[in-house]
Order: sequence, then structure tokens, then C-alpha cells
Amino acid sequence: MKWVTWQNVGIDRIGCAWLIRKFIDKNPEFIFIPEGSTALPKGAEGFDIPGARLSHHGGHCSFCAFLRQYKLNDPLLKRIGRIIDEADTVQEANVEPAAAGLDMICIGIRLASPDDATALERGAMIYDALYAALKAEQQGAQQQ
Amino acid sequence: MLLAYKIPNKPTSSRVFVWRKVRKLGAILLHDSLWVLPATTRTREQLRWLANEIVELKGDATVWESRLTMGIDEEKLIASFTEALEAEYRQILARLKDKDRDLAALSRQYQQAKMQDYFDSELGRRVRDALAANGGKK
Repeated sequence: MKWVTWQNVGIDRIGCAWLIRKFIDKNPEFIFIPEGSTALPKGAEGFDIPGARLSHHGGHCSFCAFLRQYKLNDPLLKRIGRIIDEADTVQEANVEPAAAGLDMICIGIRLASPDDATALERGAMIYDALYAALKAEQQGAQQQ
Repeated sequence: MLLAYKIPNKPTSSRVFVWRKVRKLGAILLHDSLWVLPATTRTREQLRWLANEIVELKGDATVWESRLTMGIDEEKLIASFTEALEAEYRQILARLKDKDRDLAALSRQYQQAKMQDYFDSELGRRVRDALAANGGKK
């Protein structure tokens, strides 16, 4: 399936692309359109574009919109959603110290990558790592 | 960056919700209805989504990138951003001198303040260094 988003990906979109490939669409094609553009290529699903179904809603990030729309109930994915929320939107309470660090790393991944597609690929590794760390934390807590 | 918006009077929770968010970004209110923020990658992104949220709450919002041509001095405008922030920084420095200070709490206070530090305040760097140095002491 074709997935469209604006150029210059950051924490939320790198996370969304990881989520798509891992849990929604095994063979996704990502298309990047200029920032501000709302004309989507035919047959493509837009994400993290203002007004899109898979975008910010109710003060939550696009990653969270994916979790809702595709009914992904894994608590670890919800944690990742909260981390992105704190980095990408204004939240009154901050409970995820990883948010600021992940945000900075994602900005850096885009800066250090030649294009958006490469940034999504490299970023996927960071999200695999985050997921693994959260999982270990959860298992550690259960053993206590 | 400027944000102008209108939001229905009821429910009041929507108004408060938006107001708290703009305040948390460290925006300054001009003329009762216009919020001002320095233009950075982060404020652009945040204001764009905030405008989106306002529309979802059945309001109207416009976000502008603009240049000040007359009215107030740009330096004064910058000063109004730094004044509140530096007061916060000075408070942290003062509290650091207390015997029973809470370094963890002061660090959090610093991190909160730092998010609104758009002009790379020199005082902010001093607070950072002071916190880092004090953390090493026994």
C-alpha cells in the first residue's frame, strides 16, 4: 500500500512508519510530498498531515491515531505513543524522560540521512531498540 | 510566529486546555488575543498542531510567520520573553544555595524552563553548570 506524508520526517513519522511496517503493512511504499501540501496521490493513505484520519487528534500524536484506528492494544506500543506525545505535542504532565532524548535522536537521524526514506529505515532500528528496552523493563518489573 | 484563535465560550474546558498549552510553550499574549513565539522548528510544528486542535474543538485558528515593523521594539519583545525565564533561573540559583535543597526537583525545574529558552540565555547556561557541579558534591 502507498503511504504519504510530508517531507522532513521527525519522531512521530519515523515511529508511524515503523509501526506500519511492523504491524499493519508488510510491504509499504512511502511517498513524501512537500510540507504544507494536502494534495495526496491517488489511492494513497496520508498520515501525520493536518486533517488526515491518521494524524493528530484530541491533542495526541499520529502514532496514537494509528493505535486507535488499527486497534493495536499492546501496552508497550501505548507507552511509545505516550513518549511521542510528550516529545511532539504540548502535554501538561511529563512522565516519560525518554521523550526529549528520542526527539533529539530522531531530529539527528533526519539530519544525518541523505533523504527521508533512509531516515525511516535508520529510525526503525531506534524504535526496535526502544521496544526491546521497554519490554525488558516490563519483564524486569514482573520478576520483582 | 503568531497564533490568533477563537474558540467557543462553552465548554470552558476547551478554552482552558488551549490557554494552558500556549502558556506552556512560553508564548506571550499581545493585545488580548494574539500569541507571540519565536520561530523555531519546534514552535512551527507545535503551533501547527495546536491550530489543528483548536479547529477540532470547533474554533478557528490562524498561524503566521511575520516580521515586526512598528509598535513595540523588537528588543523589548525579546526582553519580555527572557524576563520571566530569567526570574525562574534566578530562583533556581537561589534555591541551590539552600542547605536542604532538592537537586532532583531543581533539575526538573531547570528542564522545564529550558524548553522556553528561545534566546539561549547566558544565565541558563550558568544554572546548568551550577546544577551539574552541585550534583557531584557529597
